[in-house]
Amino acid sequence: MPHISYRNREIAFKLVYFGPGWSGKTTNVTFIHRSLPPSRRGEMVMLDTDQERTLFFDFLPVELGEIEGYSVRFNIYTVPGQLYYEATRRLILDGADGVAYVADSQPSRLEADIVGFQLLRENLESYGLSWRSFPLVLQYNKRDLPEVIPLGILERELGLEGIPVFEAVAVAGNGVLETLRALSGRVVERFQM
Amino acid sequence: MADGAEDFVKGALAGVVEDSGAITAMLITKEGVLLAAAGKTSSLNTAAMAALVAGMYSATREVARMVGEKQFSILLQQGETRHLHISLVTDVVMMVVVFEDYTRIGRVRYAVRKATEDLAPYLVSSEDVQRARDELAVDTFKAGTLRLIDRIFKE
Repeated sequence: MPHISYRNREIAFKLVYFGPGWSGKTTNVTFIHRSLPPSRRGEMVMLDTDQERTLFFDFLPVELGEIEGYSVRFNIYTVPGQLYYEATRRLILDGADGVAYVADSQPSRLEADIVGFQLLRENLESYGLSWRSFPLVLQYNKRDLPEVIPLGILERELGLEGIPVFEAVAVAGNGVLETLRALSGRVVERFQM
Repeated sequence: MADGAEDFVKGALAGVVEDSGAITAMLITKEGVLLAAAGKTSSLNTAAMAALVAGMYSATREVARMVGEKQFSILLQQGETRHLHISLVTDVVMMVVVFEDYTRIGRVRYAVRKATEDLAPYLVSSEDVQRARDELAVDTFKAGTLRLIDRIFKE
């Protein structure tokens, strides 16, 4: 459930970019930061290691504007992808209103994509959430590489038929805002259900 | 917040700053959302700070559980010139106080404890959340939000 303040007239949704290590979660959020005018976004906070791997989380607040007298904001987080950061991932997912699952399209990373989604499912379930009724979009990132897994394989392997799917080249920004648009739209739709 | 709470909360935070000689006092949620602040805030990125402190608190809570505690209700970060005092006000709201003179830690703790007792009743209002949800449960909110999403998040 989003944070709602009647007194301050604001509503803030939490969006989380989830996926295996090196799949491009931080690259997605960095591009979002670059694409939006300063009036729409706050400062991006990145907590990474010397090897530029996300250690804790990245954070980017995005101001959508005022609607019906309420200031609407999306707080975007990424989680660290490495398996050993399980505890951190679970913490960041707490209170999430929607998730973009960023998969790595390289064939050698297919197993990591599948394991990552299983972790997401377990983490959501630990908060009493079912991914089937949760705002979720799937992004196949790194589509510019010479060898990529075919679209549809993750949906079949993970039983994800019916969720919105996007191809992306996050380093070039292709598909990044499209993914964000679909995710934020689903989050707003669900809020009113 | 409950009715009439906004002014009271700001006043209570200003009281913490004044009584303890602190630089800033902030109230944030465990989800990392800033609720109110008093004192000097212009040099602080309060949105990012709220997210980071909430993350820090969550991580520390997990550490607490590992050593058999439910949570650590007070966190203290000592720097060279500036320090942080973080404490729970309710189950979901924390107070963050930034202060400089470490010898004033006792005054900070006293002011925070006093304000916490006063603030807690003002911070729990499920009626307010429901009131906001009712106001936002209109087609125009959804349509307006989706329109802005399409306009702002375009390739």
